[in-house]
Amino acid sequence: MSETNSPSPMRILYIEDNPLIAFHVEQMIEDLGHVFAGSLDSFAELQKQFASLEMDGALVDIDLADGATGPQAAAWLQERGIPAIFVTGQRQVAAEHGDVSLGTITKPVSSSELAAKLELFR
Amino acid sequence: MNTIEDKSLPALDQVLILAPYRKDADYLGRLLAEHEINVRAGARIDDLARMLHPSPGVLVATHEALTPDALATVAAHLETQPSWAEMPIVVLLDRASRPDQVRAELGRVWPRARLLFYQRPVTAVELVSGVQSALLVRLRQRDVRDHIAQEVELRRELNHRVKNILASVTSIFEMTRRGATSIDAFADDFRGRLGALDKVHSAVFHSEGDTVSIAEIAELTFDPYRLSGMDRIVANGPPVTLSREAGTTLALCLHELTTNAIKYGALSHPDGRVQFAWNLSQDETPELAISWKESGGPDVEEPSRAGYGTRYVRSALAGMFGQKPVIAFEADGLRCEARGVFSRVAGNQ
Repeated sequence: MSETNSPSPMRILYIEDNPLIAFHVEQMIEDLGHVFAGSLDSFAELQKQFASLEMDGALVDIDLADGATGPQAAAWLQERGIPAIFVTGQRQVAAEHGDVSLGTITKPVSSSELAAKLELFR
Repeated sequence: MNTIEDKSLPALDQVLILAPYRKDADYLGRLLAEHEINVRAGARIDDLARMLHPSPGVLVATHEALTPDALATVAAHLETQPSWAEMPIVVLLDRASRPDQVRAELGRVWPRARLLFYQRPVTAVELVSGVQSALLVRLRQRDVRDHIAQEVELRRELNHRVKNILASVTSIFEMTRRGATSIDAFADDFRGRLGALDKVHSAVFHSEGDTVSIAEIAELTFDPYRLSGMDRIVANGPPVTLSREAGTTLALCLHELTTNAIKYGALSHPDGRVQFAWNLSQDETPELAISWKESGGPDVEEPSRAGYGTRYVRSALAGMFGQKPVIAFEADGLRCEARGVFSRVAGNQ
């Protein structure tokens, strides 16, 4: 498994409504030596759970269980000092909301792209 | 069936009257209104384009209204109409006119209209029934329009689902590959997981409401093993219906637990048993609890590193219920329990 030689592990939240993708990315995050802070399936759930979560950054899908609320979730996190990166197949939509994210990871997620993009949270 | 309730789509149930003589317009308006026809009178030719904008159901025009300007305005409107539309236009011809000539002319300038001609004097009964049947034609067109809109929506939804399924399959593929020790083991595991996904998909599809019951999930997961002589899995609980997403997650978890039990757990031993149970609390906000308990199998030892199945079950149940499940490697067999607010996983009834 590829381990990063990063100075310290980061806590990563994942907002994604497909549990299989969430699980897959969770495994990759842990294999990279980071800490998985949990997965949430909607913007509503993020607002509900936020107070009880600790994270250094969030990965955010565009289409969530409560609609195309990913950009809203990213903006909401930005207001609270948490940086976000979109994880999506919809690069164009992600680009339109570039002001609320540090970048975009393309689906299906590869471990190498994930490793590189997570460093943007530092 | 669902109807499309899009406020931006015109109802197409209104009759627009185009009659330059005030008296004609008033008479026609009154006559149609008396027969409970939704009528909009007093369209002036210089204002016609605006009046046509929210597409009328039927246009009623007197002969005098058919000026070159009016013909061109109506033609321009018809030109912009979608392919399902064929606006009925009722034309009240003058007594002295030659209907064949007018018919030919209008058929040429308004090719996409459904023309009805009456020569004055026309009886009220005749005119009203003509307008009514024109409105019926128009409402049939509206049905076609709504079906088309619904189909577009269904296609969009279908595309979303297909992409989602492919993303799920990709994730299953990647995860199975990572844990595989040989190509044959990979093939078996991958086939089994896709099979579980396929079966729960079919169950949700046949339930029509995008839901699936826990009993059904249990049956479709355990049945193949029962057929091969393993009737040692007991499943029981009250009728509980889950959403498509929660049902899919539970089906995949049960698949992992079952195959794990066959390979290493209770079902690898002739006397081993599995009890799968679920329950719904009777509180104000009901909680769903599920439990999987193996017994009578080989001695259990907690593996040094959790395999794909265990990690998946832990993560998936945590996501499904919003809180972590308990997975305990107890001496007499594996125990897995999860609970959470039912509304989070419930199928809409």
